[in-house]
Amino acid sequence: MAFNSSLEISKGIGRITLSGELDAAAAPVFRADIEKAAAENVKRLVLMMSGLDYMASAGLRALVFAKQKMGAQVDIYVIGAQESVTETLELTGFHHSVIALDSYDAAQIEEL
Amino acid sequence: MEPLTVPAVLDSLGPIGRYVLEAASMAGLDRKAAYRLRLAVDEIATNIIGYGYPKAGKTGDVLVTADVGEQTLTVALEDEAVPFDPRALTRPDHMDLPIEERPIGGLGVFLAMEGVDEYQYEYVKNRNRNIFIMKRPDR
Repeated sequence: MAFNSSLEISKGIGRITLSGELDAAAAPVFRADIEKAAAENVKRLVLMMSGLDYMASAGLRALVFAKQKMGAQVDIYVIGAQESVTETLELTGFHHSVIALDSYDAAQIEEL
Repeated sequence: MEPLTVPAVLDSLGPIGRYVLEAASMAGLDRKAAYRLRLAVDEIATNIIGYGYPKAGKTGDVLVTADVGEQTLTVALEDEAVPFDPRALTRPDHMDLPIEERPIGGLGVFLAMEGVDEYQYEYVKNRNRNIFIMKRPDR
């Protein structure tokens, strides 16, 4: 299924909704949204992943790119990731560097 | 299954993924096993396309085959890029480092090796052959 990435920025939070399949061919689209969010100096990056059916290591590299562009102090939230995507994050230790939540928790995320 | 030949470009990853998922379905793999196999093949195909052929200074094709056997499903990728045995890459030892402090690279091959029941590599007649084997569920 085609990959789609869409970015909204409000209240200093960059929120990117991902859907479809994130392979190496699709990753530049995701990275472009990360760059746009970084340019706005967002304080948090929230990745809405419930519609993301597949993520290759190109997606992991995009997360590294986000940390490098935005700075380690910008928390990255992964919301609603599917089981297999979560498995990839855990297998590679990326779950230590992001905050995984089942659903969007405004109280936790928007408290700046 | 009929073999699939695609040009070694990133846009071929989608068709390769669909081919692998179809083979996994024919072999009766469950969703998780199918996902892992697809991820493994996708990662190695990405390396062939992104590094193997550019390093060889040429363009070429990737051949994908799938063989549903009695007990296993065997998927293979063949290419004429530079010889590269992914098993030669050492397992990354930085999995517990914060991601911003990690060296990039090796993650895809790691996921590929972890995901399949058996992985084999051969270099025969100027062709790389990456072989991915999954056990079929008991019927």
